[in-house]
Amino acid sequence: MKRFVAALFVALMLLPGLALASSYKVGIVTPTLSSSEDEFRGAQRVAEKYPGRIKHISLPENYSEEQETAITQIMSLGADPEVKAIVICAGYSGILPAIQKIKEKRPDMVVVTAPIWDDPDMMAKYVDLCLDTDWVKRGETIPEKAHKMGAKTFIHYSFPTHMAKEVLAKRRDMMRETCKKLGMEFVEVMTPDPTTGAGPGPMLQFLQEDIPRQIAKYGKDTCIFGTNCPMQDVIIAKALDLKFIMAEQCCPTPTQGFPAAMGLEIAPEDAGNFDKINAMIKEHAAEAGCAGRLSTWPTPVGYFFPEFGTDVAMDMVDGKLKDVSIESLKPIAKKVAGADVAFAKMKPEIDNYYLIIMDSIYY
Amino acid sequence: MRFDARGLRLDAHIPQLFIIAFLVLLAGAALRLDSPVGLMLGDSLVRLGMNGVLALSLVPMLNVGAGLNFGLPVAISAGLLGMCLAVNCRLRGLPGFFAAIFFACVAGVVLGWLYGRILNRVKGREEIAAAFVGFSFISIMNFFWATAPFSNPAMLWPIGGKGMRPAIGLRGYFAGVLNSLGSFTLFGVTVPTGLLVFFGLLCLGVYLFFRTSLGRAMIATGESEPFARMAGIRVERMRLLGVILSTVIGAVGICVYAQSYGFIELYDAPLMMAFPAASAVLAGGCLGGRALVRHVVLGTYLFQTTYVLSGPVANGLMVPEAAEIIRMLVSNGIILYALIYEGTRRRKHAA
Repeated sequence: MKRFVAALFVALMLLPGLALASSYKVGIVTPTLSSSEDEFRGAQRVAEKYPGRIKHISLPENYSEEQETAITQIMSLGADPEVKAIVICAGYSGILPAIQKIKEKRPDMVVVTAPIWDDPDMMAKYVDLCLDTDWVKRGETIPEKAHKMGAKTFIHYSFPTHMAKEVLAKRRDMMRETCKKLGMEFVEVMTPDPTTGAGPGPMLQFLQEDIPRQIAKYGKDTCIFGTNCPMQDVIIAKALDLKFIMAEQCCPTPTQGFPAAMGLEIAPEDAGNFDKINAMIKEHAAEAGCAGRLSTWPTPVGYFFPEFGTDVAMDMVDGKLKDVSIESLKPIAKKVAGADVAFAKMKPEIDNYYLIIMDSIYY
Repeated sequence: MRFDARGLRLDAHIPQLFIIAFLVLLAGAALRLDSPVGLMLGDSLVRLGMNGVLALSLVPMLNVGAGLNFGLPVAISAGLLGMCLAVNCRLRGLPGFFAAIFFACVAGVVLGWLYGRILNRVKGREEIAAAFVGFSFISIMNFFWATAPFSNPAMLWPIGGKGMRPAIGLRGYFAGVLNSLGSFTLFGVTVPTGLLVFFGLLCLGVYLFFRTSLGRAMIATGESEPFARMAGIRVERMRLLGVILSTVIGAVGICVYAQSYGFIELYDAPLMMAFPAASAVLAGGCLGGRALVRHVVLGTYLFQTTYVLSGPVANGLMVPEAAEIIRMLVSNGIILYALIYEGTRRRKHAA
């Protein structure tokens, strides 16, 4: 009897601890709504999925000039004893120092970055799991996809400032190589630079005028790819008129370019419902006679990462996920994205930095 | 440099001569590169119509002596608001376009009145004040676009379902209604008849307005305020009217631009739109004097055609960066030249 009472007593003492263990919080860090809708709404969705367990903070609007504020904000998450994991979906450089400081104080804190852009080797040392889109590999996958969709020519629209970025220049080189292998003609066109002078206006107007010229020259079986987000509205609108191929946008998502170019009427109750949005795009594409000529990833990466990162982080805190590997991440990703997600190691020697590519949806 | 009466006139044409020389060079290169000249000529006509009204909107303020309207984003915001209201009410085709213009004009009168009151308080420094009014107004409007209770789902954020998208497609509303109205193709050049006729009518309207007694009173105000005051003209009122008129024409201008472009662009898109318009009017020959409709038409055509030609030529010659630098030099150089010219002229007048 005494033993039973003692056991009951111990169990009662442990209960609050157990309760605390399952009610810890996860901090999610994203840019502001106007900087990037995908990540911000992605975090909001996770907060709805796990009510009361998510602490969502957004970084300063003008990140590059207020980096110190950003670091302080992230460190404040580390100072909260309830927070046991931090998921950072920001796509900025210079966040690693904040993670280093948190890890020094609380080595048990689980940190997932999806993505941040600091030195990969240093990130792998301090961050539990680093995730990013496989930007360079897309130089291979996009032309391959375009080829499958029937493209004979591949046009790459960009401008000097973008081509000065290593990753984007590498991707272009890879696209050129892949096109050569597949027997497609690769055409590189430079637009006016939106980062200088008059903003994106001249670039977009140039696209409006140049795309018809190129299609007149190369024919409809041409895939057009632009490296800048605002370009996608014009490219997709022109694709509906001229029936050329648009295999993927620079940031593959159904919410970029399609809603404006097609004038998608997404009711507030359907907002964020990608099955509905994808069905609408398919319908509009068919109406315009572009069935099978347009494609993208079914879910925005920026919207996928906060939820995926949080689910992985929670599994890690709960001890359900001991080692991160391609095998252990794949099923979680499929559950969140609703499509297959391919993972690749950033470098063969690093075990916790993975790059993803999603399966495509063809409209 | 000495500025005698004859030299003054020659100096006034330097930007024009420079831009024509640049254009001839580009056209020569385009012909050598076998570029599709017919398509490019058609594009230059579209650009004349779509940018011309925005450049025209600078005329009343220049003539009333309120300087170059670097606060054009205020007028553009009025126009954007007008178009958003029309799209929100699902008004389509030409009626939709004219409804947008009507709403834009109403918004333009209200905002123009406020803007004019501000400019009347900063007399002599209108241009710099206008630039800052324009920039700060964009921030206010950004807040408005993100929170405004518009209800047409074609305009709302696709994930959040609240607030306005950065770009709203006009396909199915009034995209290209003017461009395609009565358009025809002649020798491979597609002429956007409706667009050019609409622009022509507005030009005629502005030309005739400055022939009326009110228009002449405005010009008198711009030429010399003390004399205008002595002639019994209410200078402040004229200036306010000039600013309102500029704002209203600017609001119409962005509607014309957007129907041709096919999208309503919100948030930061109008931020830098004043500069090409200002460069165009100056390139047309409006330096240190009255702004005429022919300055607008000639300047917009010359200035915008350099844009049409420089992209394909630069790509053909494999020097995209060089074209970019020369174009920036031309557009900003013209503004700088105009400011120096005006400064010298004023000093000369004072002496």
